[in-house]
Amino acid sequence: MSPLDRRLITHINWPLLVMIAMLFGVGVLNLYSASGFRMGDGVSLNPFYQKQCIWGLAGFVGMITMTLFDYRYFKHVAWPLMILTIILLALVPIMGKTVYGAKRWLDFGLFSIQPSEFAKFATLMLGALMLSKDTGRLGWLELFTILAVALPPAAMVIVQPDLGSGLNILLLLGGMILFRGLTGRVFKVLLVVVPVLIPCGWFFLKPYQKLRVLTLFNPERDPLGSGYHIIQSQIAIGSGQMWGKGFLEGTQSQLRFLPEKHTDFAVAVFAEEWGFVGAIVLVALFSIFLYLLAGSARDAKDRFGSFLCAGVFFYFFWQILINMGMVLGIMPVVGIPLPFISYGGSATIVNFCLIGIVLNVSMRRFVFKKA
Amino acid sequence: MAKTYEPDTGQQSPRGGLILLQSLILGLFCLFTVRLWYLQVHKGEHFAELARENQMRQASIIAARGMILDRNGKPLAINEPSFALGLIREDCEDIQATLRKVSEWTGLDYQVLLDTYIRGKKRSKPFEPMVLISNLSYELLAKIEANAVSWPGLEILIRHKRYYPDGQPLAHVMGYVAEANEEELEKDSRLALGDHVGKQGLELVLEQRLRGEKGLKQIEVDAYGREHDQQVIQEPRTGGNLMLSVDADLQAFCAKQLEGQAGAVVVLQPETGKVLALVSQPTYDNNLFVLGIPPKKWKELRDDPMHPIQNRVSQSVYPPGSTFKLLMAACALSEGMIKTSDTVVCTGSYRVGDHDFHCWKKGGHGSMDMRSALVHSCDVYFYQLGEKLGIDRINRYALQSGFGQPTGIDLPHERSGLIPSTAWKKRRYGENWTRGETLNASIGQGYVQVSPLQLAKFLAALVNGGKVIRPSLVLDDPVDVQSKLTLSDKDREFILKAMADTVQAGTAQKLKRPDAVIGGKTGTAQVVKLQNADIRQKTHEMPYKYRDHAWISTWGQKDGKSYVVVCMLEHGGHGGESAGPVVKAVYDYLFGPAPAAAKTAAKAQPAPETGD
Repeated sequence: MSPLDRRLITHINWPLLVMIAMLFGVGVLNLYSASGFRMGDGVSLNPFYQKQCIWGLAGFVGMITMTLFDYRYFKHVAWPLMILTIILLALVPIMGKTVYGAKRWLDFGLFSIQPSEFAKFATLMLGALMLSKDTGRLGWLELFTILAVALPPAAMVIVQPDLGSGLNILLLLGGMILFRGLTGRVFKVLLVVVPVLIPCGWFFLKPYQKLRVLTLFNPERDPLGSGYHIIQSQIAIGSGQMWGKGFLEGTQSQLRFLPEKHTDFAVAVFAEEWGFVGAIVLVALFSIFLYLLAGSARDAKDRFGSFLCAGVFFYFFWQILINMGMVLGIMPVVGIPLPFISYGGSATIVNFCLIGIVLNVSMRRFVFKKA
Repeated sequence: MAKTYEPDTGQQSPRGGLILLQSLILGLFCLFTVRLWYLQVHKGEHFAELARENQMRQASIIAARGMILDRNGKPLAINEPSFALGLIREDCEDIQATLRKVSEWTGLDYQVLLDTYIRGKKRSKPFEPMVLISNLSYELLAKIEANAVSWPGLEILIRHKRYYPDGQPLAHVMGYVAEANEEELEKDSRLALGDHVGKQGLELVLEQRLRGEKGLKQIEVDAYGREHDQQVIQEPRTGGNLMLSVDADLQAFCAKQLEGQAGAVVVLQPETGKVLALVSQPTYDNNLFVLGIPPKKWKELRDDPMHPIQNRVSQSVYPPGSTFKLLMAACALSEGMIKTSDTVVCTGSYRVGDHDFHCWKKGGHGSMDMRSALVHSCDVYFYQLGEKLGIDRINRYALQSGFGQPTGIDLPHERSGLIPSTAWKKRRYGENWTRGETLNASIGQGYVQVSPLQLAKFLAALVNGGKVIRPSLVLDDPVDVQSKLTLSDKDREFILKAMADTVQAGTAQKLKRPDAVIGGKTGTAQVVKLQNADIRQKTHEMPYKYRDHAWISTWGQKDGKSYVVVCMLEHGGHGGESAGPVVKAVYDYLFGPAPAAAKTAAKAQPAPETGD
């Protein structure tokens, strides 16, 4: 059987593809508004929306690539990929390239890679592999085994420092564990222990890390930094009122009061220009998108596929929750972008590739019935 | 690659898990809808109002640093306009591309610019330009100005640049300002990247008095971020001007006297402690540092064997040689251990244990009382005096008189010098103090180390009635009496008289002039210990670094004006011979040229004995 069976194409999850196209379209449109300027000096700089289109194209290719082979092949790559990730992460402090004050990149001359992106895939695949092995709820031994495997790379990403990606990996794994379900005893114990452990972890942090955490939870500590962001973001969103100021008319974003308006705070630009009505539509689009991912998890033919989809679900869910929560002023400011809306090269490619995995799972949901 | 897989058995996805996912989606939708409703509909009008107010930006107004003038109002540190390249990050579409462009125009390293940006980002207020490059040359300024228009976010800033019109002669006093470094920025929240702070000298010590307070302005911008109107909310406060006690012309004159030599001259008013001249040679051009000294130039200065950056008046300490005998005399008289008329017979050497301690005069001075011992600088007299006093008594008295500790002048990094004691030696070397070491200390050799400024401060106390006053460079600062010499007026005057006699008939005859009262004490401080005085070579025959340091500490009075002048020449040889002419020139400057008759009279005198 050819890997690109005709049935595979007919079984493509079209609603999910349409939803991605809509979200990405909204993102590019929004970036068009957010990059109000052009540079002079003969060299015109590509505005962000143009670059984002190129990233989107690259992501599309990545997404298609991810559907070309049976997803169960990932079972065999999960471990090697995790080991490779850990090696690459270990290399970062030694030979990493410093960009904007953080060492996150490995430079191989022709190209550079960001090992933390690999960590996302490795955690997703290995998590799905380990969690799908058994059907019962998760006991202590299994829980600790999974944590022992997945925590080191997450920790290595956090110390880079890339708190956003590290948190993303942890939350993705946590979501998958909850998806599998914990035994009643484990769940009850964790319910008590986790809230106690978190403050204990505090003592292991270095002073500057503590300060960063404190700033996270109390913007007033950093009124010129994240505190300023929160205030300006709320002004932008709030002043959009019911119907919005109109496309390209958002004064807060056009006046550049809004910081990072093309990356982490992109959705504030949208909410200012399209108002409550537009913002609700966007939230609805995201909800449908998540619903489709959950549906793929439900419909998958095997547990491994189901857990892969659940992992992708949580990967996006937390990002949407944290980013929009931060922009709306109900979550601490962490550098996490909004999928498909925020500008960003590697994030866009990773997002599309993850969707590719879900498409892979859902297009093969009938395949082995007939095999 | 196309493997076939067996389907897993059992339930595909956990039922509870699916319920979890669906509840999470519902929760997310509800949470955001409620929050959006609250922000956009419930509080929408409030935020719309805030958005309208947002069209005002605030920006700092730079305050000028206070000027520094000399006692006659001559400007010593002024502000000149300078141009800097600023970046307003909110206006900048693509920071990295912009910085690359700036790097292209200026030839500065992109990474350096990026680092500057990252550091500045943490410290700049929204819409406040952060300084990327300070002190732009006119050439660079023209280049950037022509290009920057099409690059939003870049702005040419007009700022103040420090300029020291007198440069070299006053470099050690003035110090300099330069851009605040990471540590300074961290310590002082009022500083922004690119701000200048005092780094050395008065600029450093009096930073808080000189630095002004930034003002605040409000700028109204239109929908394109273009400036419409400006309003000053808070005027900047210029830093306070400082008038120094220093006389810039006298300073330059003294510096000229030391040209080509390494040494120090201090001129101060004994009654007030106000410094008129504070010269350290060789020197450097402090203007170099304001713009950021080029590494090559810095390396040259740092590695110069003559150490031009070192302030020899307060940061260098030397054995004081015979000038220390003044303190020995004061100590002995204050303790009442000896009468001025008590005599000692100098045979040219003094034996302690199996070691002979020589007097500088080979044949000996014969019978010496305190006056003649000071005038002729007899070593044997002071050996015996020192033995009587003991090192701890000398130590205590010297500390009371201001030695062994910083003088407190308005200059940074002052050295304490050293007055040894038995306890000190035990602590430092774990050994007992020896008699021979007391003898060495008694003639200002051995462990004893003083700075030229400490000596001047002590001398001022002798002249002004015993008040140990903190030397000060700021004209209007109140006189700060730190302690009092424990010495009766009679004994004090005795020492002053002996110093005057030294000028009349002793080792400091070069200073003699009929129209003024001048007292002095010369000193020659050995740099290397020579076992036997006989093998000592003539100064000019010795390698430079082994030559003695030459000292002369003096006071002079004429027409109610009173001065203390101390001069030290590193490796200058004999005090009277080499340091003497410098101080004589200074008095000629202060009191006017000596009457012609006196000059011939001085010449007629037999050449003074030297060698103290």
